[in-house]
Amino acid sequence: MSFDLNFIGILIGAIMASSVPLILAASGELITERSGVLNLGVEGMMIIGAISGFALMVVTDNLFFAVVGSMLSGLIISLIFGLLTQSLLTNHVATGLALTIFGIGMSAMIGKNFVGIPGKEFPLLFLNLKESIPFLGPIFFGHSIILYFAFGLPFLTNYFLKKTKTGLIIRAVGDSPTSASNQGINVTLVRYSCILYGGAMCGLAGAYLSLIYTPQWIENMTGGRGWIALALVVFATWSPIKVLIGALIFGGITILQLHMQAVGLRIPVQLLSALPYIMTIIVLVVISRDSRKIKLNTPTSLGQIFYKEK
Amino acid sequence: MNTKLKVSEISKIYPGCVANNKVSLEFGSGKIYALLGENGAGKSTLVKILSGVVKPDEGEVFLNDKSIKLNSPLDAKKNNIGMVFQHFNLFETLSVFENLSIDSDTKDEDLRVLVNDILKKYNFKIDLDIPVLNLSAGQKQKVEIIRCLIGNPKVLIMDEPTSVLTEQETDDLFISLKQFSKDGILIIYITHKLKEVLSLCDEVAVMRKGKVVSVSNTIDEKIESLANKMVGENLNTIKKKFNKFKNSEEILKISNLNFKSDDPYETNLKDLNLSLKKGECLGIAGISGNGQNELFQILSGEIITEGTSIMFRNKEIGKLNPRERREYLMAFSPEDRISQAAVPELKIYENVALNNFKSSNFFEKGLVNEKKIKEHSKKILSNFSVNTDNVELKSQFLSGGNLQKLIIGRELITSPELLVCFNPTWGLDVGAINYIHETLIKINQQGKSSILISTDNDELLKLSDRICVIYKGKLSKIMNADTVTAEKLGILMGGGSID
Repeated sequence: MSFDLNFIGILIGAIMASSVPLILAASGELITERSGVLNLGVEGMMIIGAISGFALMVVTDNLFFAVVGSMLSGLIISLIFGLLTQSLLTNHVATGLALTIFGIGMSAMIGKNFVGIPGKEFPLLFLNLKESIPFLGPIFFGHSIILYFAFGLPFLTNYFLKKTKTGLIIRAVGDSPTSASNQGINVTLVRYSCILYGGAMCGLAGAYLSLIYTPQWIENMTGGRGWIALALVVFATWSPIKVLIGALIFGGITILQLHMQAVGLRIPVQLLSALPYIMTIIVLVVISRDSRKIKLNTPTSLGQIFYKEK
Repeated sequence: MNTKLKVSEISKIYPGCVANNKVSLEFGSGKIYALLGENGAGKSTLVKILSGVVKPDEGEVFLNDKSIKLNSPLDAKKNNIGMVFQHFNLFETLSVFENLSIDSDTKDEDLRVLVNDILKKYNFKIDLDIPVLNLSAGQKQKVEIIRCLIGNPKVLIMDEPTSVLTEQETDDLFISLKQFSKDGILIIYITHKLKEVLSLCDEVAVMRKGKVVSVSNTIDEKIESLANKMVGENLNTIKKKFNKFKNSEEILKISNLNFKSDDPYETNLKDLNLSLKKGECLGIAGISGNGQNELFQILSGEIITEGTSIMFRNKEIGKLNPRERREYLMAFSPEDRISQAAVPELKIYENVALNNFKSSNFFEKGLVNEKKIKEHSKKILSNFSVNTDNVELKSQFLSGGNLQKLIIGRELITSPELLVCFNPTWGLDVGAINYIHETLIKINQQGKSSILISTDNDELLKLSDRICVIYKGKLSKIMNADTVTAEKLGILMGGGSID
């Protein structure tokens, strides 16, 4: 039996593509959570990004506007969350849940007129290299620019948090907003910025789904990926690199179990569909079991409302 | 360059409390000033105003005769006013150096040189690259001080700096403060400890109920005169008669108990041995964070232990939970009144019912018998002079002292054989402290035993029959209280050894 190396390369390429929305959304949420804000609205922000990206693409016929527009819409909807939790001091959890429900409903309403419209082809880079190099070609080439950005993002995020002053300030705010405020740091501003950044990344993650991964609009097309991204952040113990690993495992098992279903193995389909969730959690729990490291990485003030003494 | 700092007619009113009432004070460099007062006297509010954390309702602050606006901590920093808070403003999960660099505009490499110079000049020994949560309280305070020194302060304000320090660390701190003062920094030292005022400070201002009641030179003052000014009444001091327990029966015995925690914030307990006799009070001293929490939880049953290491009245109780231990006539008063001992949102009588699920007739067929609980609660309120007779009042509206009396009363009204209390007078005013102390002495006289875990050495020396010290999860030898002095405790608390 001939072993098709090129097929494995294509498979790996597909796995990478399927993990992109998770990496983007989780990296954004990671920054938000590192500042001490728990935004459970990831799913809602993603789906708003997905519909606004697709709608803008149809209306303007310009992919650049579509991508930027999706990030802006994610940012705007996260601004609502910011206003509520940071200025009006509402509970993070309840507000985030409301944001998700709002996002899903809102996107379905906007999306009514866009169902069934075919998407536009998104330019893929280095297509000739993908064809000409066996195995490695399909892994490294022939992807969209957003995929390359997504795979660089965890490393950038890691560097940003560990080595830059702004990253240090974000970690400090997440550790103790009261101390940060007493040191003259504008906690509200820092947290707003992190919320908006997280919103923009979730919007981009949504646009990747509706413009590139499955270029069309389907109601509820994020299909719980926002929740997976949220879980990844926690199980990766707020480490960007582990988020990347987790997203790849999740994407990998999702693709593999689809192939296993296609081959017709005698394993219940429900079990196969559950496999990515179970395996991702097991692997991340195992690689993150150093309790000391968890303490040092966990934003101590996560989900706490901060108000300044007057 | 001489520095003059003046606060003029400062007032700050919180709902239901006048924290500062037209406070006016003047300070000049070269001297160390004490700001003395009880908890709630308004000292902390005043220093929060000086450091820009809180805005005053009225009044002005002058630095070198120029009126300055302190709207934020940044303003205080710009005016070279440095502040070390009682509760540290550090980021526990960041490294020491990250903590220092976060609010400094200096480049990292230059800052490191600057910090190393400060470390050398004042003989501080701190590793800059470990997370702050690994430091002792004394080292954390030094990090706070270094953070101020980086900004070249003209004024340095210390808010109750010794409450977390050992005697040795306190001595070191005083040496540093005197050095800073010599270097021209104006120092304002906030405290309620009278001895410290006399040994460290040049001038002392006493505050009571939001007002400045006296300003004087410390040379003209004595402990008694300052105490009376601070409290505003003449206090009668209580003194315990020490008991000898050679012949009375042993009530509690812990042998070779070990506890290992998975939590890096917690302390492991090693090789714990102690015994307690009927009618005896055993004091356990130590700086907070040396294993007192874990020890209390092991005694109360919040941490369950294996084997036969804890014997109480000849019964093995290591595996029992707090409720079951209460049925064996143990009682507990935890350190944190609000979150551990009582539920602030519940009414007084509901809180009273909380520790009595089974062995009372408060509950019938799963229903709450309100009438009986309320009668029982009224008895506690009057027997333990809690300053209210309204059992419907939510517990959060009780003052610290009244809440502590309620908690101790709730525990004692069932006549337990052993009371374990952890910092029972922490943050209370002198009147309430006296009452709690009298109560603790009384139960010993009635033949009941007590274990007093406390970070207040005066309290321990006053109440205990025998004392030991907990340091890094290990207990020292248990000593008769009449052979123990504050100095000895200080040495043991800092990890030294005596004899």
